[in-house]
Amino acid sequence: MIQDFIQDYLERLAHELDFDRSLSRCVRQEVEDHLWEAVAADPAGNTFESQSRAIANFGDARAIAAEFAVLSLTRHSRRAALIAVLVIAGVFIAMKARVAWYAAMPWAVGDDIRAVSAEVMLIDRYAFLSSVIIGLVGWIYIQTRNIPAAFDPAYRSQLRRFFLICRAAAVALIVSVASDAVLTALRFSGMEFSATSLVSILSIAIEIACVGILVFQIRRIALRATSTAALMQS
Amino acid sequence: MLKGHLDMIVLAALAAAGSAHGYAVIEEIKQRSGGAFDLPEGTIYPALHRLEQAGLLSSRWTTADSGRRRRVYTLTKAGTRALAERRAIWKQFSDAIGGLLGGARPRETPA
Repeated sequence: MIQDFIQDYLERLAHELDFDRSLSRCVRQEVEDHLWEAVAADPAGNTFESQSRAIANFGDARAIAAEFAVLSLTRHSRRAALIAVLVIAGVFIAMKARVAWYAAMPWAVGDDIRAVSAEVMLIDRYAFLSSVIIGLVGWIYIQTRNIPAAFDPAYRSQLRRFFLICRAAAVALIVSVASDAVLTALRFSGMEFSATSLVSILSIAIEIACVGILVFQIRRIALRATSTAALMQS
Repeated sequence: MLKGHLDMIVLAALAAAGSAHGYAVIEEIKQRSGGAFDLPEGTIYPALHRLEQAGLLSSRWTTADSGRRRRVYTLTKAGTRALAERRAIWKQFSDAIGGLLGGARPRETPA
């Protein structure tokens, strides 16, 4: 019965930290060790009073979870920035593989299609280059910031800037992938579907999946930031 | 005000204690400050995690005599350097305030 008192507190803390499961498990173990050691050091021994003293000295579970939420948000933002860079690299590899495939295949492209393709290719090139530069800027930006102790206005504007950079990188990448899809469609227009065209379709599918991952990561971090803000306000 | 210096306090306590778990860090802070710092004990843990994330501390899991899992923190080289820097800044600040409150002029640093 007495043991339930500390267990209840640990359950409450773990529940408050539910936004990050691995962090929740780790903190719960650390706090459990702390509380039982505090009880063991109490002259009254293991009683209701010593347990409530240990819990009261430890502090409010929600307030502690709110401090951890900021740390978790920072860690996940940094991870999202790294994923963004990897996703852009993934698109680049898929793009290069498709170009190498085209070079290896004896496909002739008509002059009318060649003219349109040149323009789309220009858009593709600049859009991709922009996504690389903006993605790297975002990654360097978030990696070089100090880890905040609180969800203060300075950290909020830092996050806002980071989201803006990420969104810009995502938009540039979407334009680049859409251009790739148009270029592929132009190349295959009027041609019969064959097994060899599967390679191009697969590479485009990989690019679309990469963009999907990036958009998902940005959305996830935005939701995490919202829930952290809510936790800080409550 | 204390919260603003929490990182320095935790680093100093760990430098004094060597490797220590959260509870031991708090005990070290209480003992060395003569019980002057009365923070909710739970606030030490986010600080420990933050300092580890910043590369100023490292941690490892061990098993305590009680059989419970215990996370033990140690100062890294970067942590030792950061503490030395913060100590120097604190001393400068403390000397300036001491001079101001004591009425004596703080020692001027040569240009």
